[in-house]
Amino acid sequence: MLEINKLSASIEGKKILKDFDLKINPGEVHAIMGPNGSGKSTLANILSGRKGYEIEGKASYEGNDLLEIPIEERAQKGIFLAFQYPTEIPGVNTNNFLKTSLNTIRKFRGLKELDSLDFLKLVKEKSKNLKIEEKILSRQLNVGFSGGEKKKNEILQMTILEPKLAILDETDSGLDIDALRIVSNGVNSLRDKKRSFLIITHYQRLLNYIKPDFVHVLVDGKIVKTGCGDLAKELEKDGYEGVTTIK
Amino acid sequence: MNLKFQEFQKLNLGLKELDGIRIKSFKKFETQGFPSKRQEHWKYSDLRTIINENFKNLQIFKENTRSKYNDNFLIKSFEHNKIVLLNGNLVDSSFVYEDKKKITIKSLKSVLDNKEEFEKIKSYFEDDQNSMISLNHALVNDGITLEVDDRYSFKKPLIIYNFFNEIADSKIINNKVFISLGKESKLCLVDFYKCENDIKYFNNMIHNYTIKENAIFKKYSINSSLDRSYNYNSTKINSYSNSVFENFLLSLGPNFIKNEIHCNLLENFSSSFVNGIMLLNGNQHHELKTNINHKYENCKSSQLIKSVLLDKSSGTFQGKIYVDKRAQKTNGYQLSKALILSENSEFNSKPELEIYADDVKCSHGSTTGNIDENSIFYLMSRGLTREQANKMIVEGFLNEVIETITESDIKLLISKLFKERINKVKV
Repeated sequence: MLEINKLSASIEGKKILKDFDLKINPGEVHAIMGPNGSGKSTLANILSGRKGYEIEGKASYEGNDLLEIPIEERAQKGIFLAFQYPTEIPGVNTNNFLKTSLNTIRKFRGLKELDSLDFLKLVKEKSKNLKIEEKILSRQLNVGFSGGEKKKNEILQMTILEPKLAILDETDSGLDIDALRIVSNGVNSLRDKKRSFLIITHYQRLLNYIKPDFVHVLVDGKIVKTGCGDLAKELEKDGYEGVTTIK
Repeated sequence: MNLKFQEFQKLNLGLKELDGIRIKSFKKFETQGFPSKRQEHWKYSDLRTIINENFKNLQIFKENTRSKYNDNFLIKSFEHNKIVLLNGNLVDSSFVYEDKKKITIKSLKSVLDNKEEFEKIKSYFEDDQNSMISLNHALVNDGITLEVDDRYSFKKPLIIYNFFNEIADSKIINNKVFISLGKESKLCLVDFYKCENDIKYFNNMIHNYTIKENAIFKKYSINSSLDRSYNYNSTKINSYSNSVFENFLLSLGPNFIKNEIHCNLLENFSSSFVNGIMLLNGNQHHELKTNINHKYENCKSSQLIKSVLLDKSSGTFQGKIYVDKRAQKTNGYQLSKALILSENSEFNSKPELEIYADDVKCSHGSTTGNIDENSIFYLMSRGLTREQANKMIVEGFLNEVIETITESDIKLLISKLFKERINKVKV
């Protein structure tokens, strides 16, 4: 699904990712943990196509050169980024935006576009499953949303758009326990043999709810350790320093 | 520029008394000429140059249009009363939803012919704020006076259709609209502009409104369809105790328009709201100048103007809040936001506060910039193309102002016209 080889990225001359390697197969859930400033968000940004980085190395998605694919096409081809800080866009109705987004993606996949009625039915069902109040969808996109509402909105979008590869950039940061469950349920409900996840997080907490297949420790732009789910628990106990110095 | 005033004079329009006013006003206009950028208030809309460049032979409109108007252009989405001004001439009116005894509508022509009626509006002819107003006094052809009795609330909105047809080609039309709302009355007015043909004309129009105590006046100016017209539109409002004036401006259509809105808050607890949007492309140039005069205590005013400029278009907002020294407890607010989406477009904003009282709350803000790249990225990361993302953001940006409209039928109409327009431009 996703293969990253010797990826380096710098911004304004400062190197953030250094010869980064990662391979995600269909159906796998990978967690990337790391201290502040280790390059986690940069990775998410580069995968979703944000401009402004100088990039070397390779990244391929479903066999194609990911770095050459325009931003919107990445989304249409099934990459979804749940933002760490979802952008507030005044005046844009959340429902309208989501409908446009879904239909653009459906069109790309050769599916019939949904009319307003079918769309609302779908949204109703998905938000009910996730226990997300539908009300937020008639508001302006992320405007005046609480931190929790913004993150829940990201997860709702994810379940509606049904991506092939979902990247969650610190979606758990700033969430209370109930919201954390909602987010995890969203991810778990989508887990299947074909869909992959890349979960970027500071804390082991989220991984109590979402069991990853692999945990990677990212320090200073490089993966320094890879393990199974238990690695996260070690990290919680010994801290990043403990785990990396043991190496 | 050679406006043939003598020829116009020979028509002897209106009372003898008016002749003197016309001659005096035309002299004033002649000494000053069309306003130019040398005058502070016309700095961003140099009308003299605009007229010279676009009208080789501008003629005074003096006809009495009797031709039929195109009723395809009437609005059908909601029930309303109507007044039709074709080239500024009153050609039709109907108030089927109202108690006609409570409303008095007259053509301005008939008022200018009647000594008693003319007395009522005579003082307005002393206004010599600028040469366009003087020109209007000198050349006024027709228009209306509308009086609403005390304690009468209109049941349905009133639409004034300002239609123009081929007779107006290359002419300058000068007309006036007087509206007076009695105590505790209510009126919701749509001022709708539409040119039937592909012609060039100049419309120099003056509105004078009186809003008596406790009356509510909501006014929506709709300039939505693209045309090659040039317009100066001055609106002056006198607001009395506890009255409300709500104004919305949809500034999308004509080549050039300068809208001026002067609100005089003359008595306790009166309020004025001036909101509007501009969406311009091609070579369009629109200006809105507001002048909110707080002349008495406890009055409130608010202005929200949003503009989007494409291609080589330019927009201007000059907004002033004036607070007299006796106008304590004033609450005045003003915000202008503009998005400039092309290197060749331009937006000028000049917010002004002039405050002589010491217990007031006034604020103003003005921002001009490009679309936020983070917003674009967010939308594109959800599969939208850059064009779709731009359009969604621009639409949302302007929609915020449309959302402030309190009349649902009119909000729907304005949304629809705005959508039609935005779907035609490339953002």
